[in-house]
Amino acid sequence: MSWLLPVALAVLASSCFADRVLVLTENLGIRDTHSIYLGSIKDRGHQVLVRTADDASLALFKHGELIYEHLIILAPGVQAFGGSLSPKEISKFVDAGGNVLVAGSSKIGEAIRDLAVENGFEFDESNTAVIDHFNFDSSLDTGDHTTIVVGKDQLINAQLIVGDTTKIRPVLFKGVALIKDPSNHLALDIVTAASTSYSHVPGQIAENVAVAGKKTLLVAGLQARNNARIVFTGSVDMFSDAYFNAFATSANPARTAERGVATGNAALVSAITQWVLKENGVLRVKNVEHHRVGESQPPPREYTIMEDVEYAIEIEELKNGKWVPFLGKDVQLEFVRIDPFVRTTLQNKNGRLSSQFKIPDVYGVYKFSVDYRRVGYTHLLDVRQMSVRPLWHTQYERFIRSAYPYYASSFSMMAGVVLFSIAFLYHKDSAKVSVEAAKKKH
Amino acid sequence: MKESVGLGKNSQLGLTTLLTFAILALAWFVGFASRLFAIVRFESIIHEFDPWFNYRATHHMVQNGFYNFLNWFDERAWYPLGRIVGGTVYPGLMVTSGLIHWILDGLNFHVHIREICVFLAPTFSGLTAIATYFLTKELWSPGAGLFAACFIAITPGYTSRSVAGSYDNEGIAIFALQFTYFLWVKSLKTGSVTWAALCALSYFYMVSAWGGYVFIINLIPLHALALIIMGRYSSRLFVSYTTFYCLATILSMQIPFVGFQPVRTSEHMPAFGIFGLLQIVAAMHYARTRITRQQFLTLFVGGLTVVGGLAVVVYFALVWGGYVAPFSGRFYSLWDTGYAKIHIPIIASVSEHQPTTWVSFFFDLHITAAVFPVGLWYCIKKVNDERVFIILYAVSAVYFAGVMVRLMLTLTPAVCVLSGIAFSYTYEKYLKDDEKVPGSTGSTKSGEPRTYDKPGKSKPSSSESDDQVSVNVKTFVSVLLLIFLLMFVVHATYVTSNAYSHPSVVLQTASGNGDRLIMDDFREAYHWLRENTADEARVMSWWDYGYQIAGMANRTTLVDNNTWNNSHIALVGKAMSSNESAAYEIMRALDVDYILVIFGGVIGYSGDDINKFLWMVRIAQGEHPKDIREENYFTESGEYSVGAQASEIMLNCLMYKMSYYRFAETRVGYNQPAGFDRTRGYVIGKKDVTLDYIEEAYTTENWLVRIYKLKDLPNRPQIKPADLTVPFRGKRVAKGKNKKGILLQNESVKGKKAEAV
Repeated sequence: MSWLLPVALAVLASSCFADRVLVLTENLGIRDTHSIYLGSIKDRGHQVLVRTADDASLALFKHGELIYEHLIILAPGVQAFGGSLSPKEISKFVDAGGNVLVAGSSKIGEAIRDLAVENGFEFDESNTAVIDHFNFDSSLDTGDHTTIVVGKDQLINAQLIVGDTTKIRPVLFKGVALIKDPSNHLALDIVTAASTSYSHVPGQIAENVAVAGKKTLLVAGLQARNNARIVFTGSVDMFSDAYFNAFATSANPARTAERGVATGNAALVSAITQWVLKENGVLRVKNVEHHRVGESQPPPREYTIMEDVEYAIEIEELKNGKWVPFLGKDVQLEFVRIDPFVRTTLQNKNGRLSSQFKIPDVYGVYKFSVDYRRVGYTHLLDVRQMSVRPLWHTQYERFIRSAYPYYASSFSMMAGVVLFSIAFLYHKDSAKVSVEAAKKKH
Repeated sequence: MKESVGLGKNSQLGLTTLLTFAILALAWFVGFASRLFAIVRFESIIHEFDPWFNYRATHHMVQNGFYNFLNWFDERAWYPLGRIVGGTVYPGLMVTSGLIHWILDGLNFHVHIREICVFLAPTFSGLTAIATYFLTKELWSPGAGLFAACFIAITPGYTSRSVAGSYDNEGIAIFALQFTYFLWVKSLKTGSVTWAALCALSYFYMVSAWGGYVFIINLIPLHALALIIMGRYSSRLFVSYTTFYCLATILSMQIPFVGFQPVRTSEHMPAFGIFGLLQIVAAMHYARTRITRQQFLTLFVGGLTVVGGLAVVVYFALVWGGYVAPFSGRFYSLWDTGYAKIHIPIIASVSEHQPTTWVSFFFDLHITAAVFPVGLWYCIKKVNDERVFIILYAVSAVYFAGVMVRLMLTLTPAVCVLSGIAFSYTYEKYLKDDEKVPGSTGSTKSGEPRTYDKPGKSKPSSSESDDQVSVNVKTFVSVLLLIFLLMFVVHATYVTSNAYSHPSVVLQTASGNGDRLIMDDFREAYHWLRENTADEARVMSWWDYGYQIAGMANRTTLVDNNTWNNSHIALVGKAMSSNESAAYEIMRALDVDYILVIFGGVIGYSGDDINKFLWMVRIAQGEHPKDIREENYFTESGEYSVGAQASEIMLNCLMYKMSYYRFAETRVGYNQPAGFDRTRGYVIGKKDVTLDYIEEAYTTENWLVRIYKLKDLPNRPQIKPADLTVPFRGKRVAKGKNKKGILLQNESVKGKKAEAV
């Protein structure tokens, strides 16, 4: 029972998440068919509430507050949600900070497709499926080549989202294709289809295939600008006990490693779910300080040009339900006035990232900006605005060495004027005499 | 000069002094009172644009002290560049009001600094009248001085810049200008170092108050040069000019904004050149009495050629080497009126930098515009050293006033002085030994102060050999001139009251039945900004409104009326004239939170941003010629229009969208079609304006000011229905509460799962 290992690890590691999770299903039988998956969420401490998607009493908000932190929709065939739910309402939930995991299947309802469109993705039409005539599972497939074996090279290179890709075993997938809109800059291609796959109605001859090759996505997600996380997967079966416990046998002769091994579905699905439920890759700023070197408080109004400044930011990461110091070494600080005037990598000392630099010789309104974007991590942005002023009229050098000749000349002239005045006023006669004397000599 | 006319000499002098005092005091009072229309009609409020900054700066100085003001780094202006206020402002105005405030405070008269700012210019108009009296007295006679003082007290050309609330540099600078000229003439007449030093001090005050000081530092050397060329060189000229130049240059360099300009820019070089020339001329004069004529000629011709040639070579070498700045664009635009439009659109875009129409000469000067050539003629006829000065002053000022509307202000004092001379001289001639006319003028019920100085009791007949004129003609001419003067008073009051007493922050129109309608949209909008936006919110607008936003709304602005950074203004112009997405990128880079536009289409206000828009395009094109082309904003027939023929680029630019967003939903009149713009007088080209990146935040009552808020980037990348690859088949179900959902009847899932297990 190889699936037990990650689940057991997850149970051991964390039982301290106490978030409320709403799971929507088509029927409550999913408690049995997906018991391992749902159990693993519960085991990590979450309060899981399973409801059918057409329940007339469903709601996500109460008095404008979120009732749940996370929403998992394992109900592909929803044409219309029950209660106050709707794709728009779920999008509002995302905008309010809720995280959503959506699973589709070949029998996909319009509401689920609409929800994908709200987030920059599209599910293919109902009754279509991802077909791969090369990478299907030779033992489980029923003949239309829709049960696909996914290799680790098709996963996104982000440990925080999919776990350790080097160790992951082949994953079984059966379901509908996803594509992303070209304008979707936030999209993460978590699992890409193989180049030989395409999306079509199984059993029909494929003509004018709109979705094919690597453009097809099996699992896709995004982190919204408010750091809410949304993942779409085309296969609800990925989450089932049946696939967790199955053995994969790729029909592709080139992929010998993917023959007769236990599937990696449990590990992958668990990793993705942990990412969606914000158990992974969450950063926060604990404290920011900036001041002149040798001081401890920032100046009350503004810095002056050419001053040495020390900046420190304390970043924490959520690990196993606890905030621990973040240990990344690639966080950069920018000192920006339209363009960054200073860009420096911060030195990380156990979660306290700091740097010293000299303010440029340009006055203006600057921002200390730490803008840390890494795939899998929440977007960390901290901006502190501070003015940099020119020197006070008293702060310039009083005496400049190169000006000493001028000082000397002005003082000598002053002395000269005094002497001349004295001479002019009191020695007039003698001066006249001397002039006359000079004339006489001529 | 004063002869006794039957009275004792002492009492005659006493009467003259009393009359002079009374007339000057009345001139002061009338000048002050006629400038209060704006306060009576509206309220005690700072006017227009620049005064708002001056007021804000003064307020800062009074609150934080002079040194904090001198070193004030204003982070709320020119975001994110900031502005060093102390080094970019003429502080004379602020210091003057601060000083008055301080003195009044010391006397326990606690007045809010705003009241001092509002009343400063009217108060200084009285001082200007007195300075003009002294100047004219030195140039001609005390009687002419009284005329000139009365003229300048009420002449519209000066009132336009000095009504109550118009708290601008010009308000005190004209006084400083006249006083400096008086001291210069005085020092030239006396040849005294003291007067010259005082003249330099007055010049220092002028430098601290207004950039127009350049006029003085070029006019006085011109005067000196003219005197030398006319062979009127004297040691008095040498003493007064050299003293003045040395002290004035050193003093003017003490103003941080001026700094090293007096020794490093071409505008100040003529003064230095004349200084050098005077030394040579003085040396020549000294030498002429001591050497033979032959030697002198050799020395004169040879020396002058060598020195002159050398000076020119050195000047150009310094300019070429970068030690002396060449003449600035503003200087060239004085000689070539088309220069600014091509090379510095930002200067040409200001309405007061446009060439003057002849109407405004009459409007601003009335009868004095017609009379001052007479005064000029008298001065030329009876020329002496100091009258050369007023001749040069008048001639150059007339030229400059023709180039720029704004420089009408420098012409006005000259016109007043010369008109005063003309009237005084004429009356001296025509009222001489005439007992009737004084009585008749006294009986007129005008109540104006100037009627009292008409009698000319104090201005007796100078020994002129006049051709005899009959009494009737004398009476006729005197009465006619008197009527002219009365008409001048009426006109001046009318113009002051109707044209120059609008705060422009508050608009006023007349309703159908003649009631006054006050439109307070500007203050409404600024107040909204002050109350409803974050303290550090950054507001983008065209630069005209920068000072007002800073002064009234106390919010950070990107550009303002201190147009020192052309490229930053061009960036704002580019944002205004780009389409929404391109503008959004610029505005994000500049951290803009709100955008403010002025829109007059609803009430027919012609000074709105759409009418200024071409200047934004031109200025943006100057810096970004690849992205913005002026011709793209014209119709196919080359006209500027926002109507049906307008180009696509015009109809999609941010300025158009912000001005006309939701405009077609309203009707400006019940018989006008939707989208009819009252300012432009036609229906706009595109009525369904949609905004993607910004949203309307506030629009004032008469739509005069519209404020938009920059939206954040969308939280999620939503796909537009048109961009879908796979279209929707089923119906989207409308939202509702407590409804039962619909699921696909989906049996196969279970079946397949069973298989998989």
